[in-house]
Amino acid sequence: MRIKKKDIQSEIFTGSMADISFLLIIFFMITSAFSTSRGLDFALPEDTDTPEIKQEDSIDVHVLRGGAIEVDGEGRPLEGILPYIAEKLKDNPDKPVILRTDPDASYGDMIRVFDELRQAPDKIDMEIKTISIPTRREIENLWSMLGIQ
Amino acid sequence: MAIIRGRDRKDAAAIFTASMADIVFLLIVFFVLTYKVEVDRTRMDLPDTWIRIKVPEKAAVISISPPDANPPLTIRVSTGEEMSLPVSTDEEIVTFASTEVARNPNKEFIVKADDMVPYERVDAVLDALKQSKVKFIYLLSDQRTVEN
Repeated sequence: MRIKKKDIQSEIFTGSMADISFLLIIFFMITSAFSTSRGLDFALPEDTDTPEIKQEDSIDVHVLRGGAIEVDGEGRPLEGILPYIAEKLKDNPDKPVILRTDPDASYGDMIRVFDELRQAPDKIDMEIKTISIPTRREIENLWSMLGIQ
Repeated sequence: MAIIRGRDRKDAAAIFTASMADIVFLLIVFFVLTYKVEVDRTRMDLPDTWIRIKVPEKAAVISISPPDANPPLTIRVSTGEEMSLPVSTDEEIVTFASTEVARNPNKEFIVKADDMVPYERVDAVLDALKQSKVKFIYLLSDQRTVEN
């Protein structure tokens, strides 16, 4: 009498696959970051090619406490900055813009002005070649060099 | 012997789940491809801008917490690969940034600060980065819309 061989079917147990998959999805959903990866960029000049910018050769944009803006000493609204700069750039397209911010002003106020300056190619069809953001220490150093207290 | 008639037979209701595995794996693949670890989890209201450039991956992060956070105006630094750590002085920022620049002279830095942070704090961070010879800085922002 021949013994009949039983066929044993090999199987991978997949019952817990759904649990593992959902755990992975939840992990990725919680730890992923999408939106906070964009912003305004600016490159700092290297020591070797730093041109000396004189205040009279530049356009001075000053952000005051509370968000008020002065351009070359005159108060202007945010929308009024670029038309003024456009007039100045017609005479000298290389004219740099110095963006100074009062220590008591908020970071958001400074960013709004910087964003406005960066939109020059779209709004006035001209490019501001240099936007300088000097720090307080740099301004104080310049003032002491010029003998201003 | 009882015969089960056609109308007495009960069909168990079932949800078709055969395609669930496909959907789940598609979602996993999506998350794996778009996955990016958030090295700094400081919650804040970023300033809104129209211009937004994509910041490079693995850029170092310096964050300044909002004035109403607990503790307020805390500065945290991260290399971009490790979770952020708090620093207490501006000199520590200079040391951190200088070390990163020594490793990679073209290392990019992201400044992540709340909209309401006094500019004085941001100025101190920018000054520390300038002292450390950092070349590229990104000021993190949210998308500005016509509503805001």
